[in-house]
Amino acid sequence: MEVTVNLNSILYSLIGWFLYSLGLWKLLPKLKWERRWMAWVPGLRTVALGSAIDMGWEGVVCGAMEVLSQISRFWKPAENADERTELVLVLFTLIFLAVLIIYEIRIFLRLTQVMGVKKRWIILWLFAEWLPMMVFGFSSRFQPREDVALADDRAAGTCPADLSAATDPAGSSSSGLVVRLRERTAKDFLKKRYLLKDISLSIPNGSMVLLLGGSGSGKTTLVNALIGYEKADATVLLNGTDVYKDYDRMKYRIGFVPQQNLVRGNDTVGHTVNDAARLRLPARIKWKDRHSQVEEVMDLLGLTAGQDGLVSKKSGGQQRRISIAMELVVDPELFILDEPDSGLDGVIAREIFTRLREVADTGKIVIVITHTPDRVIDLFDKVIVLARDSGRVGRLAFYGSPQEARTFFGKDTMEGIVMSVNSKEEGGEGRADELIARYAAMTAEETEKAKKTEKAEEAEALQTEGGEGA
Amino acid sequence: MKKEKHRGFHAQTGIYLGKFLRMFVFQSDWKVLPIGAVIAGIVTFVVGGNIFVTQEGTLMGSFALVCVCIWNGFFNSIQVVCRERSILKREHRAGLRAGSYLAAHMIYQFLLCLGQTGVTLLICSLAEVKFPQAGIITPWGIADLGITLFLVTYTADLMALMVSSLVRDTTTAMTVMPFLLIFQLVFSGGFFDLQGFAKSIRVLTISHWGLNSICSIGRYNDLPMVTLWNTIFKFRDIEYLGEKPLLEIIRQMEKTGTRDQFLQWAGQYNQNPEYAAVPGAILQNWGALLVLGVIFTVVALIAIHFVDRDKR
Repeated sequence: MEVTVNLNSILYSLIGWFLYSLGLWKLLPKLKWERRWMAWVPGLRTVALGSAIDMGWEGVVCGAMEVLSQISRFWKPAENADERTELVLVLFTLIFLAVLIIYEIRIFLRLTQVMGVKKRWIILWLFAEWLPMMVFGFSSRFQPREDVALADDRAAGTCPADLSAATDPAGSSSSGLVVRLRERTAKDFLKKRYLLKDISLSIPNGSMVLLLGGSGSGKTTLVNALIGYEKADATVLLNGTDVYKDYDRMKYRIGFVPQQNLVRGNDTVGHTVNDAARLRLPARIKWKDRHSQVEEVMDLLGLTAGQDGLVSKKSGGQQRRISIAMELVVDPELFILDEPDSGLDGVIAREIFTRLREVADTGKIVIVITHTPDRVIDLFDKVIVLARDSGRVGRLAFYGSPQEARTFFGKDTMEGIVMSVNSKEEGGEGRADELIARYAAMTAEETEKAKKTEKAEEAEALQTEGGEGA
Repeated sequence: MKKEKHRGFHAQTGIYLGKFLRMFVFQSDWKVLPIGAVIAGIVTFVVGGNIFVTQEGTLMGSFALVCVCIWNGFFNSIQVVCRERSILKREHRAGLRAGSYLAAHMIYQFLLCLGQTGVTLLICSLAEVKFPQAGIITPWGIADLGITLFLVTYTADLMALMVSSLVRDTTTAMTVMPFLLIFQLVFSGGFFDLQGFAKSIRVLTISHWGLNSICSIGRYNDLPMVTLWNTIFKFRDIEYLGEKPLLEIIRQMEKTGTRDQFLQWAGQYNQNPEYAAVPGAILQNWGALLVLGVIFTVVALIAIHFVDRDKR
């Protein structure tokens, strides 16, 4: 094979490449992308653009296809090569181009969304991709929309308050659940994304806690971090034991019921719960004890009557209870449920929450995510409110009793509280930053007060000891 | 604090095996047996008459039987892991051992494949397929054939299990499956003349080793070849100098009873060393199928072990 040179084609490509890169070089800072040099490197420039607008994977595919299609475009088979070689080359070029076009369309559609322009700009892009890039890059009229989520690692630290200083005053307890989450990040190709930051909690045993927050505020991410499934830069202590350091043991002491009913439909209810118990309970537990534990949980959740029926034949509410029973059967110290009432009517939902309250009353910690909290709020001891700040990072906006939450947010309902931290685009009040900062200041003040009180008490104790000694 | 012992590999395998066996009854898994019977019935109806009788019939019939086995194996387990991937993740988080889960599937599929092989052999018997009388590895030809059919079915099953463990949903699994089937059919080396690189990659196919093994067991190299005779027969009316020499030869051979000798003689020129009816050749084919099965198992195990890496 040999590389054949077509001067016109190369010249056209070079001009297009230069103009596109120039436009991108000006656009990347607008998109808060620091490595501007990438705009000048074929392949990498698409990776940079993709990553800057949260389409890292598309950017990488596009970059690779860009390079491969250019290679196959200029690489012509030698004259004596057979027809099959030429056919294979044409076929590969077409495949590369098809993938490139599809992924470029995806990236550009996202770019139109980020820049707040009409999708019809894509027509311009298809004929001369450098033109919209130059316009977006050089014109000051075109700026990224503020409401579009752009993962920005610098913005993650720009919350109005230094939350790292704020700690829960009651956080020194060795019993219950103690959480010190510094950050939870995810790597998206070239970009580090902050999902959660600065969350500090201390939940006493026997509490039933409501986890509130709008979509994308990081509720499930926090739960996954708490149970050690997706580790964060954090310390999570459950009754004094580090969940992360001792995960292999602790995972049996934590029950997590996911949002979907992840249960096999073609097995009986009794077998499903019994198998879950056999899998999760320690091997030393005798058959008789295990059997009575299974029966107890089935009774508690009202599953005994239909235990010989297939799971798939049960109603949504019953399947939800089976899913709960599978975790509850091991008697977990920490029990977390992600929307246990989704798809259930009010009566059944209330019934499930009442059962959970009974579980909490046995000294366990129950944390529940629900989108309809007001019908069951009387059953909860504490409320955690997560909010997404202006840097699109999930943060702690409040932790306290439901009544304290109502006072703090100035709202009568839990749904009202969620609306106050939701962004305006989501129909909320967009007060997340303000409330996060206020809560941080409040907890910092309480921590300071607690420290002073502690010091005063220590000094008093020393004085008393001195007096007694004299 | 002392670490409490939870159920180990064998106990967990037992839990899951019990679950899968219950599902055989409750779910539609039992249907694979009658479906396998129908497929085997259709195939033997079409190609069963000449299998183990002539070289062409043996090659075609063996290929068809291998296809039936691969089809059965693929359909047994192409969806079994991916359709419950979310459940698997939940259970993995709760202490499930990837090895136990896979072992339970493998034992269950082993039994299923055994049943399907039995059904296929039964259908072949009912269709009056002339099985080789004497075996090469065992004293019975039907036993050698049964082991081969089972190994092909089970290896295909393990391959599908691997695919099911690698992909994240049933749609992807069912998209991948036709490509795998085509790969098996094209690269078996039975019908398409493979050259160069294409010839070297046939060792990766289950169909290649299965086909070789069945042809060896059927003593392909000792069977008569009919293609040459049929071709001559087609041209029997060609005239040369006012006569029909080919028709004359055909009549003469039929009259003297040398037709069969001719067919046998033609077969000697169509022998394939890969189909040698010797124990070494068959054991090599079985060994290759086992090696492929082990590779598929290891890949599946790694995929299941890292099931938690899935992003939301």
